[in-house]
Amino acid sequence: MWPGLQNLWKRIRRRQPDLVAFPEIFDHFQALLQDHQGVMELIADLGEKSGGEYIFDRKYLIDTTEEIQTLLLRMVGGLNLITSNRHLDLYQTIDRIFIPLGAELRGRLLLSKEMPLVIPLAAAPPDRPELIGGKAAHLAVAIQNLLLPAPAGFIITTRAYRLFLEHNHLEERIHGLLEAWVAGESDERQTARQIQYSILAGVVPHEVIGEVKRLAERGGGDWAVRSSAYGEDGELSFAGLHESLLHVPARGVLKAYRTVLASLYSPEALIYRQKMGMLGEEAAMAVLCQEMIPGRASGVVHTMDVSGQERDCLVAFAAWGLGRTVVEGKGPVDRYVVERDFPHAIRFQEIARKEKQLREMAGGGEEEVPVPAEDQGRETLSEADIGTLVRFALTLERYFKRPQEIEWALDQEGQCWVLQSRALQFPKPPAPLPQDICETCALYAILIQDTGVVAHAGVGAGTVAHVATDADMDRFPEEAVLVTKYTAPWLARIVPKAAAIVAERGSAAGHLATIAREFRVPTLVGVEQASEILTPGMKVTVDTKQRTIYAGRVKELLQYELVQSLAFEDAPEFRLLRRMLARIAPLHLIDPQDQNFTAAGCQSVHDVIRFIHEKAVEELMDLPRFVKRFKGVRIFTLVSDIPLGLKVLDLGGGIATEAQGTRLLPEHIRSWPMRALWAGLSGPGVWSTEPVPVDFQGMMSSLTKTWADTPGATTVTGFNLAVISENYMNLHLRLGYHFNLVDARMESEAARNHIYFRFVGGVTDLTRRSRRAKLLDKILSQFHFKVDTKGDLVVAKVLHLSREDMEQRLQALGRLVGFTRQLDIQLRSDEDVPDFVEAFFDQNSRLREQPPEGGSNDGK
Amino acid sequence: MTENKLRILVLDDEPIVCKRLQPALEKLGFEVDTFTQSVEAMHQIQQTAYDIVITDLKMKEIDGMRFLEEAKKQHPQTEVIVITGFATMETAKQSFQKGVFDFIAKPFKLSEIQDVVTRAAAKIRGAAPA
Repeated sequence: MWPGLQNLWKRIRRRQPDLVAFPEIFDHFQALLQDHQGVMELIADLGEKSGGEYIFDRKYLIDTTEEIQTLLLRMVGGLNLITSNRHLDLYQTIDRIFIPLGAELRGRLLLSKEMPLVIPLAAAPPDRPELIGGKAAHLAVAIQNLLLPAPAGFIITTRAYRLFLEHNHLEERIHGLLEAWVAGESDERQTARQIQYSILAGVVPHEVIGEVKRLAERGGGDWAVRSSAYGEDGELSFAGLHESLLHVPARGVLKAYRTVLASLYSPEALIYRQKMGMLGEEAAMAVLCQEMIPGRASGVVHTMDVSGQERDCLVAFAAWGLGRTVVEGKGPVDRYVVERDFPHAIRFQEIARKEKQLREMAGGGEEEVPVPAEDQGRETLSEADIGTLVRFALTLERYFKRPQEIEWALDQEGQCWVLQSRALQFPKPPAPLPQDICETCALYAILIQDTGVVAHAGVGAGTVAHVATDADMDRFPEEAVLVTKYTAPWLARIVPKAAAIVAERGSAAGHLATIAREFRVPTLVGVEQASEILTPGMKVTVDTKQRTIYAGRVKELLQYELVQSLAFEDAPEFRLLRRMLARIAPLHLIDPQDQNFTAAGCQSVHDVIRFIHEKAVEELMDLPRFVKRFKGVRIFTLVSDIPLGLKVLDLGGGIATEAQGTRLLPEHIRSWPMRALWAGLSGPGVWSTEPVPVDFQGMMSSLTKTWADTPGATTVTGFNLAVISENYMNLHLRLGYHFNLVDARMESEAARNHIYFRFVGGVTDLTRRSRRAKLLDKILSQFHFKVDTKGDLVVAKVLHLSREDMEQRLQALGRLVGFTRQLDIQLRSDEDVPDFVEAFFDQNSRLREQPPEGGSNDGK
Repeated sequence: MTENKLRILVLDDEPIVCKRLQPALEKLGFEVDTFTQSVEAMHQIQQTAYDIVITDLKMKEIDGMRFLEEAKKQHPQTEVIVITGFATMETAKQSFQKGVFDFIAKPFKLSEIQDVVTRAAAKIRGAAPA
């Protein structure tokens, strides 16, 4: 009942909208476009900063957030002025986005209710180790970013730990006991016993119990319940200080949880924290529960040899059965020494005589049993297993930028699992380089220096592989250096495999750069002639921090980078920036017809500006309002052989002063983007004059029909309209039943340019329409648009291209609009799609001979 | 070669700035000490001569302007580079009047500061050839 009433009220209120006069609309609309651009630039800036080339501080993050908020508030104000206050709920949306952002910046989010008590590993935020602990944060990355197989599980967060303390009134008690110990009134054993007793006797809050039970019982098998304290797997090593319990049945998880929590206050942990000067800091423990993998064999891989004897090698240790044999050194193990350099030859292996192994007991726990005689002297790992483990290990090391220690298991089916990955601790610091790093690097030949823009900072080495086609991508070898002329979005799927990326074109704010940062792949863009200098098969080392590419593998530099004190990606400011970006940059609202395309549906800053832009344009395009509002305003009608019925509104500089009256001849168009699009659309043969099937003729006759006449159409939105200025065009084009929107900005400065293209509708059944969407996807991708399709909706974006590249793409769009208006009728089967792609490029053979150049793109 | 290394002191109360500048400058062949506490840095320049000092302007305790004055007073040949998130024409002018080598607004690119430091080093080496 209630929503019905609300709607009724809305309709009553809307019946007499106060129309805002044209000159005002004109000003507000232009201001909106400018602010929209301003926010987009700030978002791009933040993205670029996350690549490591810039030095920034917290102040920058605070200032930028404030700037974005100011612009957004102004945009919301502007939209409401245009639309007679029909979007006041956007103010709430802004609060909803910026209040947590502010809390994030002040570091106050951790205790807030927004943070979960319990969260599945696959959904856990890797950039919040203070919430989920270091161990779980590493595994979350392995699963979510690197797509490595790690056992599923869930995390009982540090927020749950704090709630536990609060619930049991333990905070003051623990504090008091610690103070007494520091004052020498009790020894660490007494102190530990008293604190641990209080924790073990504590009651787990019911909201935590409910979640833990639900998730633990879903699993079916036994659980590993492990400590994941903040800082545990970071720069400090608490290795082995905190408890981990294995083979815990689902009903025992809560008891095990308390046991692991209590281990935060073991005598050893207390002494360690005191020694490290951390006693004053509040300790917090997250607990990671993971499904147990019944291991046929288990072990550990070190990505470097901690003894320092085997240079440039990984070392894998393996034994039959469960992991403790290796981890706790309970028996003899196999040792494999493998070269770090591709193709990772096995330098040597030492196979031990393994007489005993651990396996799980029915009903929980582990037991030691003899190894079958035939297996005792046999190697635990095949060459293929070693290959898999090495690939996993180096993938983790490349991401974390630190030598790693990985615990793994091989299950009964022979599948490899990553159980843990943490920074490898060296018993003594690695031997210093015999020479200063700067002098050492000077001994290697430099192929390229001081060119290009850093999209992600870092050092990577490998064999050069060029990629220009899909087939090249399939052939792209693991750990190769990707060299490409373009930074087209379709390259995304090989980014995680690349040791480094060098692109001749593109920008640090583009889509490929964003993906490279997500996978932390060192990336340089805008390196002219890279593909001529870096030829396939060549071994190179890419140091994007110094914008230098060396011939050969600069082992000293690679090692230097690995043992530096901190990978910038893991600095708190970078984590904060990434968490902020997650609330700012992603675009979730793609389809304006979607029911979530509302103020309440906006999840990010990007969504809000997208929404505002769409609503502002919608307001301009609303036919009844338009007619009233634009009475007396000079609206041009485009006069040409092509029956578009296009009205043109010039915001300034878009039309030559020679234009007479309200008739606009194509040669009088001065707007850069519109000229380019028109050149494509009006090109020879584009507006097909060939005879067409009967049903198509029916469609042609409907050219001037409005959308409202279409059965099932829901909105009356009017006519064909272009809003232009010298550098801008917003074009709404309804051709028959197809609806095209092109929004483009073209300036001399590439960083300000964009094209946004949306195509929807069609008179035929959904299958044919989807087929058409597929066709558009294929063609637009060839022009390096980033394409999203959803049913018959196609959204394509391209950003930051030079004026020449923009021109080429707008011409192509013009041709495409002409080409596709008849397509869904003719596309009879899926097999037709490639033929039509061919047909498009045949018709436009000139384009084909000059394959589209360069560019990057990103969401708009 | 190693004994010819130029010495750089970095002072910024945001640890991230020190953490990132140190390896970036070491890789160029400089010897780098970093401080997040201005009092400690002040103490240090009174004891040790640095070829180049890189300092923030707005800090708790000792103000960056005072710090650079002191650095210049102790060792007039020290080249000072100012990095600040509060860049205004006024502060820039004031810094140059005090004889700083260059003035960089935060955030800045690593390559930007590397260029400035390299130029400062060239000036120092030019003035007193090793």
